[in-house]
Amino acid sequence: MATKEEVAEAMFNMVKEYHGKKNLKALDLTKAMIEKFGDEACDKKLCKKAIRELVDNGKCTYSYVGGSYIVLPPEE
Amino acid sequence: MAEKAKRKTDIGPPNHEQFLPPVIKKNYGKWKHHEIPQPGVLVHTAHSGDKLYSVRAASARLMSIETIRLFADIADEFCGGHLRFTSRNNVEFLLDNEANVKPIIEKLSSEGYPVGGTGASITNIVHTQGWVHCHSAATDASGVVKSIMDDLFPYFDGTTKLPAKLRIAFACCLNMCGAVHCSDIAILGVHRRAPHIKHEQVNAQCEIPSTVSACPTGAIRPTTVDGVDSVEVIEERCMFCANCYTVCPAMTLNDPVNDGLSIWVGGKVSNARHEPMFSKLAIPFIPNNPPRWPETVEAVRNIVEIYAANARNYERVGEWIERIGWPQFFKLTGIEFTKYHIDDFKHAGETFKRSMHFRQSQ
Amino acid sequence: MAEKLRETPLLDELEKGPWPSFVTEIKKSAVKNSMANDQLGILERSYKDRIGHWKHGGLVGVMGYGGGVIGRYSDLPEEYPECAEFHTIRVNQPAGWFYTSDVLRKLCNVWEKHGSGLTNMHGSTGDIIFLGAKTEALEPVFADLIDMGFDLGGSGSDVRTPSCCCGQARCEWACYDTMGFTYNLTQHFQDELHRPAFPYKFKFKMAGCANDCVASVARSDMSIIGTWREDIKVDQGEIAEYAKTVNIADDVADRCPTGCISWDGKTFDIDNANCVKCMHCINVMPKALAPGDEKGATILLGAKAPIIGGALLASVLVPFVEMGEENYEDIYELAEEIWDVWGEHGMNRERVGEFIQRVGMGNFLEQVGLDPEPEMIMHPRTNPYIFFELDEEED
Repeated sequence: MATKEEVAEAMFNMVKEYHGKKNLKALDLTKAMIEKFGDEACDKKLCKKAIRELVDNGKCTYSYVGGSYIVLPPEE
Repeated sequence: MAEKAKRKTDIGPPNHEQFLPPVIKKNYGKWKHHEIPQPGVLVHTAHSGDKLYSVRAASARLMSIETIRLFADIADEFCGGHLRFTSRNNVEFLLDNEANVKPIIEKLSSEGYPVGGTGASITNIVHTQGWVHCHSAATDASGVVKSIMDDLFPYFDGTTKLPAKLRIAFACCLNMCGAVHCSDIAILGVHRRAPHIKHEQVNAQCEIPSTVSACPTGAIRPTTVDGVDSVEVIEERCMFCANCYTVCPAMTLNDPVNDGLSIWVGGKVSNARHEPMFSKLAIPFIPNNPPRWPETVEAVRNIVEIYAANARNYERVGEWIERIGWPQFFKLTGIEFTKYHIDDFKHAGETFKRSMHFRQSQ
Repeated sequence: MAEKLRETPLLDELEKGPWPSFVTEIKKSAVKNSMANDQLGILERSYKDRIGHWKHGGLVGVMGYGGGVIGRYSDLPEEYPECAEFHTIRVNQPAGWFYTSDVLRKLCNVWEKHGSGLTNMHGSTGDIIFLGAKTEALEPVFADLIDMGFDLGGSGSDVRTPSCCCGQARCEWACYDTMGFTYNLTQHFQDELHRPAFPYKFKFKMAGCANDCVASVARSDMSIIGTWREDIKVDQGEIAEYAKTVNIADDVADRCPTGCISWDGKTFDIDNANCVKCMHCINVMPKALAPGDEKGATILLGAKAPIIGGALLASVLVPFVEMGEENYEDIYELAEEIWDVWGEHGMNRERVGEFIQRVGMGNFLEQVGLDPEPEMIMHPRTNPYIFFELDEEED
């Protein structure tokens, strides 16, 4: 199994990469991570924990544009 | 940033049990029957013989904390501080002492919160935010609701009787943050012009592919305006649903001249007698006319009065229309039938008449 | 601080008449609160301009949450600066909307300290609505709410705040404990409520009987409506009392949708095998008739308003479930199965009802592990376009 921190870091990099190009939903990140790490090393539960890690430590935030997305926090 | 203290989250709502009056705690799940001794009052009797008197008063739904405090004071004075709100935004005071029923009704009326809305009546109109707080509203909600309820007030306080209960709902756009699609009479705010596109904002605020795919009729296409990526709308294909506006704030449909209201009839959610039904179109468009929307108020009262005069006991609006037929509904109400009444969305044919069952005799 | 009220000649017209006035309500707050006063001003402006002056945008919650706050900004920030930011905070209501005066006052104090003083009791989904918060007020409001035992509700692509009728707290017809179940369900799905992870919103509504006072069949993705299986309980003595004031032949027997009631002026008889539990006869004569034993509920799925594929009423998914506390876990598992399938294959902004129409109910049932049952349909298909499976054996 990958660690929650590893998956969170990979998710964060993906959100950064897509920033300004495409908004990503929790489901998009989850599918991408299972693809990336393989279903032996990563599952939905782990992705859920990783997303919570990302958002709780403020590296990402939720946004709503006709649906809920995970994005970089707005620049102050 | 300094290290944050551990936040408390995910505690969920408080358990309701701590807010229940003693008579409810004692008789929870052991109620036997109820009666409506007068409009606005429900009396529930438990198997134990205990009685609960619920006094139902009107509210504006949009409430100042000053009013909530007033309700708290009234609840303290007459019923040990116990009250609840209903699914249609009325307030109910929960009494175990019959002697306080009359005084609390007098108190509520004197403060401007009359009681009623029980049994075969018209009760509070479930409604949305409108111009008070919504970005996509085609009309105000609270103002139209206030104007209609002022006009239909005798049906609320029990002065005028109805064959059955009549439920009105109001939504200020097609998103329908209210049960408008299944109400006896529904009032729905409608847009009638394609989105005004603020091209300079589209690229910054919106994701162009998801804006294009948001359109159910394929009316939105990517384009370039003055060298910047944006979208365009094929206006003839627009059905004014505003789904694009939800995903792209740079495409507002709000329009001071062309926005207005439509009226729908014959829906219900209860399973009593007839299965639940959708509301159907009665009047496609009435212009906005603030502050009191007299044409809309008149149109609703007309339908209520024709229904009240013609329906049988316990027959909801939709059941009444099903019995007499839609041609007769349009004839009795004097509402004009137009091409807009005939469905042309998905599966439209299912609503076409395919029989010889008419009431042709004069 | 005392405020000089904004001039509102148009809105003042809506203070006339017997129905409680929302304009009076706004003014009650506006005399003390500059945010409410500017909100009064901008609403008057909308009445003059015949257009709304609000914009939606990004903001969705407090730190860590993806739901519970709806970002709202005015398009006239210079003219009405105090309501330039006027966000909605959804506060998860107690089940059945029961309160004590004490807890209501505490909620009012929180909202007086941090916001406009305006509320909705309640919003369309069921939450307590705090109407009009500045961005800087969100965290302090949340902290105070948590301190007094309240939490935020849902918004966006998450489990929306579940709501229910007053059930067994007051109603003799409630076939299960709607309030107890709603509280338990809401606590069970806290993560799904606060952290949006679905293609779109998912609403639960719980109704104790088929009268459906919370409109669950029209307004919830999963609608759980109480019903029963044994015979309707009849008190012939009370029937005789009703016969003095009610026309039982016309208003009860003739209105029965399956014609299963016979009434000869003396004995009221129900052919229970043909009764569809619609509630009509019980509604008319509540002292004489009551729902039978072996109570439980029907689970229906997929209701929604028109956006975007058209409005849907919920349809039957599980014809009968028992609703004791020991059965709650089974319902949670079913919901999670549904979210798994819908999450895997659903499109952005596609409600579960629309998803089922797209993939087919038969396929959906297979995916969530339920058998097809005739209670799920009005009638079998009328078209012959059957997607026979390719591994079907050849005869």
